[in-house]
Amino acid sequence: MLNENRGIPDQVAVSEPQRPAHAVVQRVLREAGIGIALLMLIAIFSASAPHFTDESNITNILTQITINLIMATGMTFVILIGGIDLSVGSVMALSAMVAGLVLKAETLPVPVAIVAAALTSVAVGMVCGFINGFVASFWGVPSFIVTLGMLNIARGGALEVTNARTLFEFPNAFNDFGTATLLGMPAIFLVALGLVLLGWGVLTRTVFGRLIYAIGNNEEAVRLSGHDTFIFKVAAFVISGLTVGIGAIVYMARLTIASPILGTGFELNAIAAVIIGGTSLNGGRGSLIGTFLGACLIGVLADGLILIGVGDFVRQMITGGVIILAVILDSYRARIAERTR
Amino acid sequence: MKRMRRVLAIISLGLPLVLFVASVGKAEDTKKPVIGLVMKSLANEFFKDMQEGAVKHVEERGDLTLIPVGMHSETDIDTQINAVENFITKKVDAIVVAPADSRALVPPLARAIKAGIVVINIDVALDEAAKKQAGVSLAFVGPDNRAGAKMSGDELAKALGPGGKVVIIEGNPGADNAQQRKLGFDDSVKDGKLDLLDSRTAHWETEEANTVFSNMLTAHPDIQGVMAANDSMALGVIKAIDAAGKSGQIKVVGFDNIPAVQPLLKEGKLLATIDQFGSQMAANGIDYAMKALKGEKLEGWIKTPIKLVTAPGS
Repeated sequence: MLNENRGIPDQVAVSEPQRPAHAVVQRVLREAGIGIALLMLIAIFSASAPHFTDESNITNILTQITINLIMATGMTFVILIGGIDLSVGSVMALSAMVAGLVLKAETLPVPVAIVAAALTSVAVGMVCGFINGFVASFWGVPSFIVTLGMLNIARGGALEVTNARTLFEFPNAFNDFGTATLLGMPAIFLVALGLVLLGWGVLTRTVFGRLIYAIGNNEEAVRLSGHDTFIFKVAAFVISGLTVGIGAIVYMARLTIASPILGTGFELNAIAAVIIGGTSLNGGRGSLIGTFLGACLIGVLADGLILIGVGDFVRQMITGGVIILAVILDSYRARIAERTR
Repeated sequence: MKRMRRVLAIISLGLPLVLFVASVGKAEDTKKPVIGLVMKSLANEFFKDMQEGAVKHVEERGDLTLIPVGMHSETDIDTQINAVENFITKKVDAIVVAPADSRALVPPLARAIKAGIVVINIDVALDEAAKKQAGVSLAFVGPDNRAGAKMSGDELAKALGPGGKVVIIEGNPGADNAQQRKLGFDDSVKDGKLDLLDSRTAHWETEEANTVFSNMLTAHPDIQGVMAANDSMALGVIKAIDAAGKSGQIKVVGFDNIPAVQPLLKEGKLLATIDQFGSQMAANGIDYAMKALKGEKLEGWIKTPIKLVTAPGS
């Protein structure tokens, strides 16, 4: 038992730090790195990229990170338990196609169709997530392989549903949501922000959340302490599916179409946001605040590099470099955190 | 709990099995000539239409047997090479191919030609140098992407006049049709004396085009026109223009004439696009393959029609 005070749950309080001062240091170290990197990037672009600080550009960045932020929120749960979900991009396409068909159903009045489409999208995502989590946990298969399978099943399903056709001409009320603003911010971004806050609350303020961390740290210990880890592991994948379903609806509203090839490669963006945000691929360590900052960093980088006129290929190289840099930083951060114990 | 898990286990095993519906192969008619059709990604509506058009056309003709093969993704070159090699083994009479890569497909196709199989190249032309190296010459039946892009781009040049500030949204870097369309747009920029502010790829994708164009518009708030190398990207550009509150102020042209842009053409949000009659392209290729099988000598580039599509009533 090496992880004595890293969140082995007992019946009363789970992983409430014994020495709060050190815990605070650790937590600050965990998120400060990425926060500083983000601030530096913003400072650099503010100075060098014309129009970077324009209100319209900030709105653009918030809109552009929305979908990744939503998917990365669910992905954080999965990575915290030591899993990975490669199927999110494809499942998003499947959710969108099925929801698109519901949305275009002429027998339903528009408001009913919109609600039904949203519920369908979320349900499709959760069912796919459930299958991922169930197969991975029940048979002890690596989630990498299970979700790789689901990636193909969902993509094939998305193509099959409409025979590879793109769906378009959704109701105006639905499309308007994609460009609506509230409190000066894009409404779709507020949806993402709400999800992040909700997820953060669940992870830090509930027994469920603490068990998610604990399973990532030492599953055996959690089991020995009398908790059924199976349900929690499946739940993490279901949560990932839930966010994918919400992401699909946001995508459709933003672009007013649903294409069966949408979301290709989105899983990698989501994983990148989580990892840049300091969540460990081994599970058990990380936070949604980090994921939020990670998604912001990717978005700011993509936006700023275009504004200062960096070419496509160099831009791709820089984005790749940042991911590697983040992982290197993370290894140092882990070491320092270890030392401050 | 245990029992419920077992039931769920059975369900989750059974569900995928139900989804994998085995397809039943058709018996082949030995008397009619057999033509193998090697398609690109059937996840792309354009190629899906093309294949369906070909299958329908063959049914109408009734004098040949068609074996279509598609790939899962745009870059799955291996599947195409395997398909060509399979067709050589099966001793088909002709192969009609939409190559995923204009060079990688040349050696296997050269082997097919040496095995006495008629090969017709559709959609994207195989590389001249690679063909010369392999010592083969074969007919290309396809549209002139560069000329098409120029027609589309010229519409924009006409609407903006000389000095109009434009940007280009490119397709996949490395894809031949993307390069041809870029060249065609460049021709329009030159002839129309337009001011090209920026040119970037959005990998044929709607969401990426939306993001990339929003950022281009921030960098260059004075953009007046956009040339998008396909309509999917034009869709993303138009949504970005709407979101920026500049509807009607920035003119957009596209390429492909997909169903999803029809309402935008009507509303005037898309100025023009190009129809290259994709659904007939493979069918055309099959017709030429049949001609070649009857002894007709085919060479060089047989251009298929392209048509400029503008808003109705403009």
